[in-house]
Amino acid sequence: MSTNMNIHHLAAAYALDALDERERAAFEAHYSACDICSHDVGDFRATLAEMGGAAATAPPTALKARVMQQISETRQLSPLLPANVVDLATRRRRVSTSVLAVAAAVLLIVGASAFLIGRSSQGDTSFAGSLERVLAQPDSHMVDLGAVSGATAGHVRVAWSPTTHETVFIADGLATPANGKAYELWLIDDSGAVAMHLLDPAHHGAVRRILSMDATPQKWGVTIEPQQGTTVATGDMLFLGQA
Amino acid sequence: MLYDQLASLVHGIVLSVLRDPAQAEEVTQEVFVELWRLAPRYDESRGSVKTWAVTVARRRAVDRVRSEQSARNRLDREAYKRVAEVDTVVEAVESTLDQARVRRALANLSATQREAVELAYFGGHTYREVAVLLEVAEGTVKSRIRDGMIHLRDELGASA
Repeated sequence: MSTNMNIHHLAAAYALDALDERERAAFEAHYSACDICSHDVGDFRATLAEMGGAAATAPPTALKARVMQQISETRQLSPLLPANVVDLATRRRRVSTSVLAVAAAVLLIVGASAFLIGRSSQGDTSFAGSLERVLAQPDSHMVDLGAVSGATAGHVRVAWSPTTHETVFIADGLATPANGKAYELWLIDDSGAVAMHLLDPAHHGAVRRILSMDATPQKWGVTIEPQQGTTVATGDMLFLGQA
Repeated sequence: MLYDQLASLVHGIVLSVLRDPAQAEEVTQEVFVELWRLAPRYDESRGSVKTWAVTVARRRAVDRVRSEQSARNRLDREAYKRVAEVDTVVEAVESTLDQARVRRALANLSATQREAVELAYFGGHTYREVAVLLEVAEGTVKSRIRDGMIHLRDELGASA
């Protein structure tokens, strides 16, 4: 791979899985940060999906039960801990509702597998249960807040649903604030920043909160404030995301 | 449900690469478990759910075929010619209209583009392997794959 010009030309072969391991790794390191290649790969993959539809062949019916069984024993990667998603920085910040449609579809599978193995997840009052409820709403949204300064440690994600008036706040790897200080979440709309909640990071800087919400956010922000809280943001926005 | 919507698609793709029904079933199962595992990180800005599932399915199937066959077998030109002559047309039970479109799109490629694309698509071969099998330069194969994929995209669209 002598030049970038060469690597751009690998998009089709990459989408076709026609690169060997070394070139595949090199191309993957390149393409998510390259608009041209990301676009090409997206197009070629969509074309391959079209072609794939023509080969559709139903699997044996017994396969479904085996898949369900294995899924019931398999842990999902957490959407809440994206630290090891290599290209997180290049992902679009906004994750739209059809992601949540997938999440909802997957939750249906959980429901089905729970049914198949005779468990029930109803009445779940855990954080995960609340998160599932919010994500299951057709109007739910989820956004990763970006660190305003590159030096700010941690990942912050907010999911919310206007229907349930719930906001799910998930943060990991936050630095411990100075003595007497705490993180504060802000719902930002036309009228300015509305204080949502003070957030104290637990071990390893993790925060998990379900908050109620009455306004329609345009942005979300996180600052550090005095630990008794403020109604007007005084600290710099450390994390920001478009709702 | 996700499984019901995607089972035929995923299984068809895996089968078209692996050809062996028992292995295809095994890999189809792996693909669904993988989709389940990755679902929280699915990113719509990168494509539809269908495209995502196809991408995961093809990758799994191709990786399996490469790990099962020795490099020596994969580069055996005589064996390739024998297989090519009796090439299995994947038996499909659905979407005959789609099939016709895809067949037409493949038919509209030049013979050399089609050969290169099909060896990668159905055979799971890398472009370097395709170059050895066809006895042409690697750069030539890269161009044929690229040109072929561009034609297919223009004909079939990129909106899956």
